[in-house]
Formats: sequence, C-alpha cells, structure tokens
Amino acid sequence: MLVGTYERTFKTSSSLFKTETETSNVKPSSILSIFPMITVALPKGSLLKDSIRLLQSVGLDFSLFLDPANRQLQIWNPEQTAKALLVRNSDVPVYVEYGQAQLGIVGYDVLREKKPQVAHLMDLGFGQCRMSVAVKQASSYRSVLDLPVHGRIASKFVNCAHDYFRELDLQVEIVPLYGSVELGPITGMSEAIVDLVATGKTLQENGLIEIEVLFKSTARLIAHPLSYRLNTDNLHDLVDQLRSATVLA
Amino acid sequence: MVYQPPAGARDLLPLDVAQKRWLEDRLQQVFHHWGYHRIITSTLERLDALMAGGAIQRSTVLQLQDLENEGLGLRPELTASIARAAVTRMTGATHPLRLYYNANIFRRAEEGNHNRQQEFYQAGVELLGSGGLVADAEILLLLATCLQNLGLQQWNLILGEAGLTRSLLSPFPDSIRAKVRHAIAHLDRITLETLPLDPELRDRALLLLDLRGRPADVLQQVGSLDLDSEQREIVNNLKSLVELIQDSLNLNQPNPSFSLILDLSLIRTFDYYTGIVFEVVSDGESGHQILGQGGRYDQLLGLYHPQGKTYPGIGFSLQIEQLHRILLPTQQLPHQTPASDWLVVAESAQALVAAFAYAQALRASTDRLRVEMDLGTRSPDAIRKYAQDRAIAQIAWISIQGTATVETLASER
Repeated sequence: MLVGTYERTFKTSSSLFKTETETSNVKPSSILSIFPMITVALPKGSLLKDSIRLLQSVGLDFSLFLDPANRQLQIWNPEQTAKALLVRNSDVPVYVEYGQAQLGIVGYDVLREKKPQVAHLMDLGFGQCRMSVAVKQASSYRSVLDLPVHGRIASKFVNCAHDYFRELDLQVEIVPLYGSVELGPITGMSEAIVDLVATGKTLQENGLIEIEVLFKSTARLIAHPLSYRLNTDNLHDLVDQLRSATVLA
Repeated sequence: MVYQPPAGARDLLPLDVAQKRWLEDRLQQVFHHWGYHRIITSTLERLDALMAGGAIQRSTVLQLQDLENEGLGLRPELTASIARAAVTRMTGATHPLRLYYNANIFRRAEEGNHNRQQEFYQAGVELLGSGGLVADAEILLLLATCLQNLGLQQWNLILGEAGLTRSLLSPFPDSIRAKVRHAIAHLDRITLETLPLDPELRDRALLLLDLRGRPADVLQQVGSLDLDSEQREIVNNLKSLVELIQDSLNLNQPNPSFSLILDLSLIRTFDYYTGIVFEVVSDGESGHQILGQGGRYDQLLGLYHPQGKTYPGIGFSLQIEQLHRILLPTQQLPHQTPASDWLVVAESAQALVAAFAYAQALRASTDRLRVEMDLGTRSPDAIRKYAQDRAIAQIAWISIQGTATVETLASER
C-alpha cells in the first residue's frame, strides 16, 4: 500500500488549522497498513470547507486540504486512522462507486446527473443551491412552456436537463458546455441554460433570470455499497457519528 | 490497415488461457464431485426468452437480427437458457437435475462507459426440481467448496432472503411500495427518510434498510418483529440453514474460511428470486468485489414451460475474470505456458520420416507428453539455444540411419 509522507509544516491563523508546526514524518506502521482504512473522497470547491468541518467534529482532521500551499491529493489524518482524497466534485461518486473510497461527500446535483451506484446515506444540509432554468431577462420567456420547440438549452448538467425536458415532453436540443454556460443565451447560441444557482448573483450580473427550479440540492454523504453491507472498518460507527454530528449542527 | 477488435472485446493469449483453464478445471472438479453434469446451451437466444424472467433489461443485451427480423440476443447469463432447455428439452429426466456450465456471456456496456468489457466468462450451477433447506444448503456448501478449491483466502458471503423481505414490504401501500423497495435495494436512506410514509412504516423501512450483520443478531432482530405464520416459517428455515452452514464449515471456530453476513436488504427491484439470495464478495487490498452471486428462483421455470408448470430451482454463477484478478497475486496460477518436453530434430531431409515417426512414438508413450518437431534451417547451436530458451528438457537428434541421439539440457528455469 502506497503511503505518502505526511508533513504538516504550514503556519496559519485560521481557526480551522492547527497552529503548531509539528512535522510528522511518521508513516503508518506496518501493522496499520495491512488493514485497509476508511478513505473519504472530498470535493474540491465550495463544499470542501463544510465537509472538513464535519469530519473534524467526529475527530477526523483533514484540514491540510484547506491550506493553499498544500499540493497533496491524498492525505492521512494526524492520527493515521483514516485517509482522504481530494477530487473534483463530479469525481467523488466515481471513487466511491469503484470502492477506492468507502465514503464521499458530494452535491445532490452530481448524484442526479451521474446516477452512480452508491448508497445515499445522509443529507448533510450544507451546500444549499438549486438546479434552475434561466433565460435572458430581455427575452419574452417567463416559463419553460414559452420556449420555442426545438430550442437550445446549454448546460453542464446534460442528463438533468434532458430528463427534465423529456418529462415535460418538450422537444429541445441540449448543448453540452463545460463552463460559463451563461454565455449561451448572451451570445444567442441557446435560448436558455440549466445550471446550478446558489445566490443568483452570477445570473443577475449577466442579465439572466431564473424561470424554473428543477430541484434543490445539498451535500450528501454517500458510501460504497459493498463496504456498507460488509461494515468494512466499522463504517457504520463512523456514519452514526456523522449522523449525530449533523443532527446537532 | 490495422484491424482492431471491437471496443470492449478482449483476446485471450496462451498464458491467459492456461490461467483461465487452471481456474475452470478446479471448479469443474468440484462440480463433478458433487454429481453435476455439464450443459452447453446456445450463445444466441431469442430476446423474449432472455427477458422472460424480468431480471434482464433489453438495453443490456447485445442484439442481433435474423432474416425473419426476430429479435435475438447474445446471452447475458445462463440461467434463462438452462431453464428454457430444462423444461422443454429434458421433460423426461428424473429430478433433481444437477447441471453446471462454463461459458462466455455478453453484456452491452452502459452508455458513457468507454471500452468497458462486453464478453465475460462464467462458471456456475443450477439445481432444478428441488426446493427447501437441503437444496439451499447444498448450493451454499458447493459454492464454499469451489472457492476453497481455488485456494481463495478471506471472502464474504452476503446472504439475504428475497421472499421474506418481499413479505415484510407487503404492509406498504401499493402506490409507494416499489419506491421503498428500490430505495432499500439501492441503500438509499435519504429517499426513505423523505418519502411520504406513516412513522410506523418509515421505521420499518429504515429497519429493513439496515437489517444486516451477524446472522444470530439479525435473526433475533427479525424474530422480534410482528410476523405472520408464513414469515415465521421462513425465518425458522433461514435459521436452520444458517446453523447448518455454520456447523458444516466450522464458521463459529477461530479462523473461519469466510464470514457470513445475513442481509435482508439484499433484494432486487424485480421478482426474480423467491427465496435465499447471495453474493460472494472478495476481501483484500483492491477492495471488495463481487466474485459470484445466486439465489432461489421457484417461479422461473414455469415461465418457460409450455403448460406453465413450474419447478423450484436454485443456482449460482462465478465470475471467472474477477476470480482471475483476485488470484493472480497469490502466485498459484501458472505463470508461464507449459514447455515442451521434447524437441525432435531431423539431422537431414532424409531423416524426416524417421524423425516424425520418433516424435509420434514419444507422444504415444506417455500421456500428456509435449513433443515438438524442429522445422529445419537452423544450426545445431541455434537449435540448442532455442531449446534452452523454451525450457525444453530433451532434444532427440535423428540421423539419416534413423537412430536417435538423446541430449538432455540443463534446465535454466
């Protein structure tokens, strides 16, 4: 088992960080590395801070991932009892589905989009946002039913968009984009977009308005189904602790 | 022009085949020892026959069309084919039927899965015409013996009871039962928590979702539910089965050969299995993988019978590729193809008749001896080097007079 040297040499004043500059070069002992430990896949971006705070509340400290100087993608907690992977939001369920991580934290939007074969254990409550249809404010569209037949919808969430319009029995063309979907309507490439909205600021600044909400999203705790069934490394205990911590929060 | 195999296809080269055969031979030994007979069914089946049981989705079948435009598919598993053959072609046979198979199957890769394998190999058994505890126990013990004969260390058997779980779901209103079942089968607790359910039913749903663990604990938990007589009988049978398996395999002793987990959330979203269901799951550094699965299907054969007459059935399938992957690091599998025992060399063209005859005589002398002919055009030193490189133990030099000089090579490997 590959074990990275765990070094914590950063200094910071943030309360989330340990301020002492202890350097721990201790690799997990050979006894520990025989037994696979719980690995958690964590999402880069907006959910990371709350995810790390939640894990800290049950005694698993992965705050190294919040240090801008950190370049490691796989780290151990200081007690060397668990491991965390730092991956793209949409890659979290992939690592969990293939079992490289037993647990993961990811937005419901990603689960709706990718429909991974994972256990959905808990709504963690943070990371609130919504999947919405938005159009140019200046347009005449105020409902999806106003959109022209065979109109174009730009989205990063092609499956969500496709499912939604199919359920409404509206014929539209989905244009896949990987970022800045707001430019779709602005440039005239598409009549509308389907995108994740947190505050609505970006839409507003780009002259777009929401006309429909597909669903609301929050961060979810997911698990590898077989590891959950087998209770690998006492997974259930950790899940129960996370549940208590979430209820209290 | 380079001809490439279709995406998801895989060629098995001689070493792959040697390793695959090693696995299959060991499984076959066990099947024979337990009185099972091999059945070979058609790779191609009519689509409706493949899908009759409800467990196979059209989208997962690799489809073909014959001249009459009848939908055909490459089999994605063997049970449907064997059920069809058993009730239509083996009607006169005495029950129980003990059948095994070792065959390739095909699954269409899901959308978005690039280059995922489409052809797989499975070995498995079907025990037809007998229901009840003893048949269930035979199948589980046979499964354990198969894995033991492969030298597999540390694995898990997750055991469920589809009939019991389905029965425990019966109090849920029709409108919502399918959703509850889907959520339990997919371990989706969030959905169970948000579905519009009475508190009592929600508690039952959440209980079913996590009704797993050590068999004794789970049986006690189930026993404390308000069960009807039919459910109580299933629970009692399950208890007897678990005890029979544990006692037969010494699972309660230290260092058991595998761990048995009773899991009543192990269900499918379709009514295919009617009794016990199970999955074999590997342990180890590469994480958990499903190595095999099976269960009891007492309604399936009736779907294929011309008069709808049904017989009980139970079986399992083992995934050869997964077993191969798990066993590869254990060094048990052959790590090279077997070397030839003899190289027969004609010293000149005139000696060829004698050389071929000598090689034939060697082959006839002992079973399984591998004898290859030198194909000429090489110097004696080049021939010796070739034999050394290929770990061939002996060279027979055949002279014009037809006499053989045997040279034994020092083995390097």
